Amino acid sequence: MDILTLAQVSKSFGNHKVIENLSFSVPEHTIFGFIGQNGAGKTTTMKIILGLQKCDSGSIFVNGKPVHFGQNQTNKYIGYLPDVPEFYDFMTPLEYLKLCGNITEMSKDKLQQRIQQLLELVGLTSVNKPIRGFSRGMKQRLGIAQALLNHPKLLICDEPTSALDPIGRKEILDILVNIKQETTILFSTHILSDVERICDRIALLHNGKIAFCKSLEEIKSLHKNTQIEIEFFRTEDANLFAKKYKKTQPINNTKLLCEQQQENDIVTIMDVLVQNNLSIQRLEILEPSLETMFMEVICK
Amino acid sequence: MKPIAAFIKKEILELIRTGRLLILTILFILFGIMNPAIAKLTPWLMKMMSESLSETGLILTEININAMTSWTQFYKNIPIALLIFLLLVSSTLTSEYQKGTLINIITKGLARWKIFISKTLVIFLLWTIEFWLCFWITYGYNNYFWDNKIASHLFFSAFCYYLAGIWFISLLFLMSALFQTNSIVLLISGAVFLLFYFASFFSDIKKYLPVTLLNSSYLLAGNNNISEYSFAIIFTLLLLIINIGVGIIIFNKREIK
Amino acid sequence: MNIHELLPFLIPLILAEFILLAFTLHHILTHKNYKHGNRILWLIITIIGMQFIGPILYFLLGKEDN
Repeated sequence: MDILTLAQVSKSFGNHKVIENLSFSVPEHTIFGFIGQNGAGKTTTMKIILGLQKCDSGSIFVNGKPVHFGQNQTNKYIGYLPDVPEFYDFMTPLEYLKLCGNITEMSKDKLQQRIQQLLELVGLTSVNKPIRGFSRGMKQRLGIAQALLNHPKLLICDEPTSALDPIGRKEILDILVNIKQETTILFSTHILSDVERICDRIALLHNGKIAFCKSLEEIKSLHKNTQIEIEFFRTEDANLFAKKYKKTQPINNTKLLCEQQQENDIVTIMDVLVQNNLSIQRLEILEPSLETMFMEVICK
Repeated sequence: MKPIAAFIKKEILELIRTGRLLILTILFILFGIMNPAIAKLTPWLMKMMSESLSETGLILTEININAMTSWTQFYKNIPIALLIFLLLVSSTLTSEYQKGTLINIITKGLARWKIFISKTLVIFLLWTIEFWLCFWITYGYNNYFWDNKIASHLFFSAFCYYLAGIWFISLLFLMSALFQTNSIVLLISGAVFLLFYFASFFSDIKKYLPVTLLNSSYLLAGNNNISEYSFAIIFTLLLLIINIGVGIIIFNKREIK
Repeated sequence: MNIHELLPFLIPLILAEFILLAFTLHHILTHKNYKHGNRILWLIITIIGMQFIGPILYFLLGKEDN
């Protein structure tokens, strides 16, 4: 079942069309990566899903229920982590989570239990000072706890890792992977390595439209024509190899690129190398990365 | 009810922890004490002045100090206290827009009107506490030194002023639902006040306007009739409900960035 | 006029003013950033206008919104 469905959603600010006829859906229990350049409309899309901003046309369904701007009952099913979460900084994490729990009318015992569980998950159990003094990473972790408080069916994270250092990023990604069993995650970012690390499905937003929306395996298998890169020690060796093995392109003096058309191309290449007694520094099959796909779409 | 109670609790906690409650309470206590203090000091000040004035040939007669002198001071000073109060509480919604703290709360599913109503109620409550605190302090001193019976319609005139304060607060909230920054909210609210103020120069509509309630101190001398203020009270209550109602409608349809 | 008559005013006035002054000074000294002005300026304003104008000005114009 799809937890989130967008159909023909459009939004413009003045003359500038931010998103245009956007349609996609997110199946349950996946980590859905939502990628795109800065300003591609990712945040706007999320805010429309949350009913914080109004869309010009189109419809959105969360858990099968329509989203209405302003008064949004579907927010019950959603947990939201903004890119820079802001809290009432005169409160302690415990007080803040209690406030959030009471807002959603959780029962007292359940709330107490859930808060302990979540503070443990995000590693803030022993922090009993006002949020005022928190670092970005701590705020981001509290943001996750806050978003997960009422067992949302859909967790929306807007660039959760962009502003963090490598350790903070790893912590957040680990937490997201850990909660995959409980919920569905829609996760926007422009950091492609994060997407490759944790996402099951990926949608690329470009110029207000979905450029592609596929699972990670599909993307990998799309490019059957992988490439092989060979690096020689000497320029002469490289030239000699290029003469013997026709299908090459030079990258620089010592590096060559070969298109791999069949699986056994690599054996042929090695055979040529052995027969001509050429030593090499490196022989590598280049996997098509998300980055190359990303670049292909963006640079078109 | 639970979500509203939780949000009201948060608002009160904020007033306490940011020190706003303490500052306003001390301020209104100070104002409450100062009214009778100035009244008490008046003869002494006059004596000082008359010594220098007598050289120029002016002679001041002995003046009579009583509770009325103190109540006159009260109505002279309370506008300043009201102004400071409004300035200090005016950012209660706009600062949340600026910081983006409402996003978490709204995306948790708290209905927007509950946010608006909670905030309004807390500020109403704060004004109620502070205003009547100031009033009762002055009242207490006046009773101790003189006699409050000299002033007629004492509570009614104070209530008029109190109600005008409530109307001002509702105006600030309506503007906060409309505009993004605190300075614009204050500017437009100030403009609306001026509009009402100038409108009160026309005697046929004067009796309906909330600003008329600010002149309720005329009642103390006993030469006015209470019923003259009844239109202003009814009309102010009406405007109050409109401000809050329209405020909620606009706040519901606001884009929260 | 004798001082005994003024005592009922003076004692609470001075008490309230000192609480306000102490609270304001504490707030200024424990915060690094201000909406306008700097620490020295606000200390001077608070002490000169310590009756109540100084602290009020600070909380209206100087105190940052966290």
